[in-house]
Amino acid sequence: MTIQSFLFAIDRISTTVGKAAAWLLIALTALVCIEVFRRYALNSPSQWGFELSVMMYGALFMLTGAYTLAQDGHVRGDFLYGSMPPRRQAGFDLVLYFLFFFPGIIALLYAGWDYAGSSWAIREHSSITADGPPLYWFKSVIPLAGALVLLQGVAEVVRCVVCLKTGKWPERLKDVEEIDVVKDQLEQSTYVDDDARRAAIENVSSIEEAAHGRLGGAAANQSGGGTK
Amino acid sequence: MTSGYLGLLMLGLIVVAIMMGFPTAFTLMGLGMLFGYVAYFDPTQSMVANRIFDLMVQRTYGGMTNDTLLSIPLFVLMGYVIERAALVDKMFRAVQLSFRRLPAPLAVATLVVCTFWGIASGIVGAVVVLMGVIAMRPMLKAGYDTRLAAGVITAGGTLGILIPPSVMIIVYAAVAGQSVVKLYAAAMVPGFFLAFLYFVYVVGWAIIDPKVAPKLPESEQRMEVPDWLERLTDTFGGNALGAVVRGLFSPARLRAAYPQGEVPGVGRLLGSLGVALGPILISAAVFGGAWWYVVIHNAPEPVQVEAVSASQGLSELASSSAGLQSPAASGVQEPPPATGSASTAGLQEPAAASSVQEPPSAAGSASSAGLQEPPSEGAAAPAAAAAQVEQGLTAPPAVEEQAARAAVPEGFYKWFWGLAAATMLGLAVFYRSFTAENLEIQRLLYSSVMPLALLTVLVLVVILFGITTATESAGVGAAGAFLLAWHSGNFTFEKLKESIYLTAKTTAMVCWLFVGSGLFSAVFALHGGQELIERWLMSMNLTPLQFLMLTQALIFVLGWPLEWTEIIVIFVPIFLPLLAHFQIDPVFFGTLVAVNLQAAFLSPPVAMSAFYLKGVSPPHVTLNQIFAGMMPYMLIVILCMVLMYNFPGMTLWLPEFLYGK
Repeated sequence: MTIQSFLFAIDRISTTVGKAAAWLLIALTALVCIEVFRRYALNSPSQWGFELSVMMYGALFMLTGAYTLAQDGHVRGDFLYGSMPPRRQAGFDLVLYFLFFFPGIIALLYAGWDYAGSSWAIREHSSITADGPPLYWFKSVIPLAGALVLLQGVAEVVRCVVCLKTGKWPERLKDVEEIDVVKDQLEQSTYVDDDARRAAIENVSSIEEAAHGRLGGAAANQSGGGTK
Repeated sequence: MTSGYLGLLMLGLIVVAIMMGFPTAFTLMGLGMLFGYVAYFDPTQSMVANRIFDLMVQRTYGGMTNDTLLSIPLFVLMGYVIERAALVDKMFRAVQLSFRRLPAPLAVATLVVCTFWGIASGIVGAVVVLMGVIAMRPMLKAGYDTRLAAGVITAGGTLGILIPPSVMIIVYAAVAGQSVVKLYAAAMVPGFFLAFLYFVYVVGWAIIDPKVAPKLPESEQRMEVPDWLERLTDTFGGNALGAVVRGLFSPARLRAAYPQGEVPGVGRLLGSLGVALGPILISAAVFGGAWWYVVIHNAPEPVQVEAVSASQGLSELASSSAGLQSPAASGVQEPPPATGSASTAGLQEPAAASSVQEPPSAAGSASSAGLQEPPSEGAAAPAAAAAQVEQGLTAPPAVEEQAARAAVPEGFYKWFWGLAAATMLGLAVFYRSFTAENLEIQRLLYSSVMPLALLTVLVLVVILFGITTATESAGVGAAGAFLLAWHSGNFTFEKLKESIYLTAKTTAMVCWLFVGSGLFSAVFALHGGQELIERWLMSMNLTPLQFLMLTQALIFVLGWPLEWTEIIVIFVPIFLPLLAHFQIDPVFFGTLVAVNLQAAFLSPPVAMSAFYLKGVSPPHVTLNQIFAGMMPYMLIVILCMVLMYNFPGMTLWLPEFLYGK
């Protein structure tokens, strides 16, 4: 197993869980709409609607944390970082993963394990309403998310080491990015002239990269193929 | 606990770590964990029984059950879906044709589309790139000044984070423990006011120096008219509306006009009639809505009027060859600044003209007039303060009906009918020269802008009326976005997946940051860092104004290297406890921060949007030209903040009007 396939394997675990959790959004939208309908049209809001929607939201963002990390989607101050050469980026990252990331996430996993464990032990139910939904599965999301993020963190550390050795960031799994909408929009456009459209579609990702490495545009352009 | 200096060390370390580019959420967690461990360290306990673990899991669970943040994924989803479903370039084309009689129509259209887009979605980078492709090249080709073109795109692109429903405001609400809907209501007027200031700047510049925005060649601004319509207007006379009506009523002549067959069917004619009557229908709906709210629903309701007027103004200007109707209308509408009724009238004004034409002094003075009125006691509708001051004494709201009558503001009828007459006059002038071209432009406008306009107006009205909570309207908005997408016909399953995954990633980014900062700020306070800063700020004996200026300047500077998420989640909470001491309304403060960040994101040489724009511009456009174009907008934002400070009513009047003190 090469290092790259090891990285992809971990990425895939995080991504699969994250993408599966992402579909909770549809359920959440539907649930909120049904609740609105029940409250305003039928005048009989359900007992569990609000709590269930909060739980969906909580599970959604916790379980997509590792997926977001796998796509380098957690906000970072890229003011200086973006213009550093990859080796220096990897060096800083590597140190900070051990200094901040692992203590924080291991604590989250450990504390969450206890927390969920005691909730399971008493088969805890929500007490907001009289017959509240069970909370133990919801609280189990905390250690689960902690474990997933921790695993992804290991992959990220390996990435840093590889980058320190080769001077290039290893690849990430392809995924949709915010800037992709430009492509979507332009492909359907009728009033934009063809050259401009083609040029923009081709350059979209390098534009994003250049914007993030704003201080030393040149350095970021040369490195290419980085994580951004 | 310990001396506050450990807390300060934390703050210093967080700044350093952010600068080093480590994902902020984990930096916060790690720092909170390490320093918290030290703070709670008790040698008699075992290593793993430290209380920091409880704190950590409590904070995490708190983030997971935060019902304010619950609306984030829904609003974000709405934005991403709309972004993929509505066609920006069609919208731009339609709006541009509608504004073709104004100076600098391309720049104005860019602003309008950006503002609209800002309502729907709040994602800056993509908007700037997209508008850079769609609008930048046409502007440069038409000979526009590069600075004008660049400035309007970058400034318009950042409006999205301010104009509700914006994610930034939800996060601030969660951090400050304020109501989301109240903050939305507060950001509403400054948001549109800022867009209006930009508009004045662009149009003013183009009027003073016409060289910066040469007129487009006629061929560029002509709308293609289909053959059947041309023939129709040829047969029945030039006025398209008249031609359509007459065509409907005399089928024989209609058939005679099309010897080769291809006679337009009744359905097509009726459709055209509907399109042609659009401005009348929208005006009627706006006035009817205002009437219903003020007279029947028992409280003046400017929001709806204003929100709707955005779309209405669009379509009216669209069709009306702008110049004709609006000056006529705005002449009539100069609101008297100091009377109580002006607060309603001033904000209703855009109903008849368009929101963009509201004179700035009128907005400030009119809304502050509303604020100055002390809320009278025992009023049934606390929102209707303006009217009640004058009438509250004579009409104690014992019977609801009585109160309803009393709540109709003084002078409402005068204003209502005055505005209605002005609108009718404008419409009459407009329809007198209603050509087939106008009809086609209107058709394009409806097909491209209308669905989006309807959805955003619906979401905003629902929020601002307080019919549902922010979460519920976000859910309805997301569902509406799906409907809109389905209606547009180009929303594939692939795009659905894209929007879902993007939403998941954005939500995770914001919420993990929130969880991290929850732990961080708790430990920061535990170490006395918070107290130290508070004591230090208090000892400076600042006046509230000085305090505001200091904090806003700090946030402004932080806005250069940092994203809004980090500023709102890490640094703003430090100042929040002090607001009470300086008697500053947190809602006002939050709105000010939101506007302030606009300026920070437009300040050279760090503004992201400039770099996005540079990426899609032709090579001869330099970064310096883009920066030069952005600078004035930064100053406009600062001007807007000064106005907001001097006329707090601009921010606070609407939320107090809608939800009470």
